Amino acid sequence: MSKRIVIVGGGVGGTMLANQLVGKLYPEVLRGDITITLLSNSPDHYYKPAFMYVAFNQFFAEELKRPERSLLRPEITFAVEDVTRFEFPAQSLQTRSGKRYSYDFLVIATGCVPAPERIEGLQEAGDHFYQYEPARQLAQRLSTIKKGRIFITVSFPQTPNVPHQCGIAPVETTLMLDDFLRRRGVRDHVEIVYTYPTVAQLLRNCLFLQRPTGNVLPAIFEQKNILYQRGFTLSHVDADQKIAYSAEGDAQPFDILMATPPIRAVDAVLQSGASQAPNNEGWLPTHHETLQVYGLENVYVIGDTVDLPVSKAGGACHNQAPVIANNIAGEIRLGSTVSVYDGRVQAVAQMGLNAGMPLWYDYAHDVLPTPPTKLGGLLRNGFNRGLYWAVARGML
Amino acid sequence: MNPPDGNAAGADGIPATPGLNNLMEKLQPLIDNGRLDNLVDLLSLVSDTVDLLDAAMVEKLAQLFENGTAAIWTVSNAVRVAKAEVSAQSSAPGILALLKLLNEEDTRKGVAVALKTLNVIGRQL
Repeated sequence: MSKRIVIVGGGVGGTMLANQLVGKLYPEVLRGDITITLLSNSPDHYYKPAFMYVAFNQFFAEELKRPERSLLRPEITFAVEDVTRFEFPAQSLQTRSGKRYSYDFLVIATGCVPAPERIEGLQEAGDHFYQYEPARQLAQRLSTIKKGRIFITVSFPQTPNVPHQCGIAPVETTLMLDDFLRRRGVRDHVEIVYTYPTVAQLLRNCLFLQRPTGNVLPAIFEQKNILYQRGFTLSHVDADQKIAYSAEGDAQPFDILMATPPIRAVDAVLQSGASQAPNNEGWLPTHHETLQVYGLENVYVIGDTVDLPVSKAGGACHNQAPVIANNIAGEIRLGSTVSVYDGRVQAVAQMGLNAGMPLWYDYAHDVLPTPPTKLGGLLRNGFNRGLYWAVARGML
Repeated sequence: MNPPDGNAAGADGIPATPGLNNLMEKLQPLIDNGRLDNLVDLLSLVSDTVDLLDAAMVEKLAQLFENGTAAIWTVSNAVRVAKAEVSAQSSAPGILALLKLLNEEDTRKGVAVALKTLNVIGRQL
């Protein structure tokens, strides 16, 4: 009886892991002793970091997606299915089309979903760059504003020590916005205000969720005449008056509210009963080293759905995938996990429209910020335009 | 003026630290035969290339990389699976078996791709 590995989610985590599993378990795959199936609710794979560029008219929709099938090795069975229910005791799952998939090993790679409706008024009055259509709407507004105030907020999940999507994105987009408005010639008439909430994972009253980077932000912002404010936790928005209210009692007007919204896990994960996260956010309890889901047999989780303190970003998936592939291989071949995730995340931050800053961190080390450079920006551009797809295929 | 003993530099006021002395000793053979010149020129060339690179050039290079790697990856994956499936059979397929394989929908699609490739090449001759 062959062992069935099922991966739910066709984002970068699921895709790269599926490809790595084929390579890692090739002898078993050849013999037919293992099958690897990937289920995604979409036939297309989206390079999600590109949505941030969409907000500045820097990326076309056609450029940021590929058919998922073209990114998967042929040994992987790929089906477009919307998983609606996880049945963990039975080790199976149900899909919207009525099919049931049984698994011996399951990897949950379902990512997360922006949930601006969880803050009153935010859906109506706010903008964000974490999905295509919202990013297009933001692009229209940023391309036409001639004077006024762009107010930037960041909302963290309420689950303690869990980050929002892509920790550096609010800083990146603030600096890109500054460049963008200068390019348009309207920067002098548009005020940019970057705010950060009181609680940012383990830090308090800061400008970033890690201290070394938070310490260099004031100098960077001041040099560009970007105003900044600590201790603004967005609590509700008056969509008609265009005023943002904070839990701390502040009220700030805006013309554009560029808000990193609350996030949650997908419905099927929320309803699975496996999460212990408060506020119905759905993050799965994850062993921080083996990436198994606590309380479940033979279930792993990768990427945004974890409840770990590391970034919800591809740069985390990149280092989690080899660990999970090794651990599933270890469990099949040796009866135990063999690899440990050290919390490592790496990326090249887009610090303005042209400059880039390579960064990395892990459970034991914070990001050491370095001066952004043109070369760093070119590396990021090269990644956006080509290297990413090789990463998704498990080649890099 | 004579620098005090133990200092290799000193004439232009550069402080002669042990680290600098070590570095200069290490570089001396390169300097002696003019080989350092090439290295400095190489660094200059790298720097000039970085100057010449812009977002558009990087985009072209990235697409070149992506097209190349995607094509090689797709074809080598297919060859690998094909070899594995054929090797798994205990004896070579007979002619009838080959015709049956040719008639399979996926094979016909693949043959069409191969033929179309030749067609497009022919168009450009």
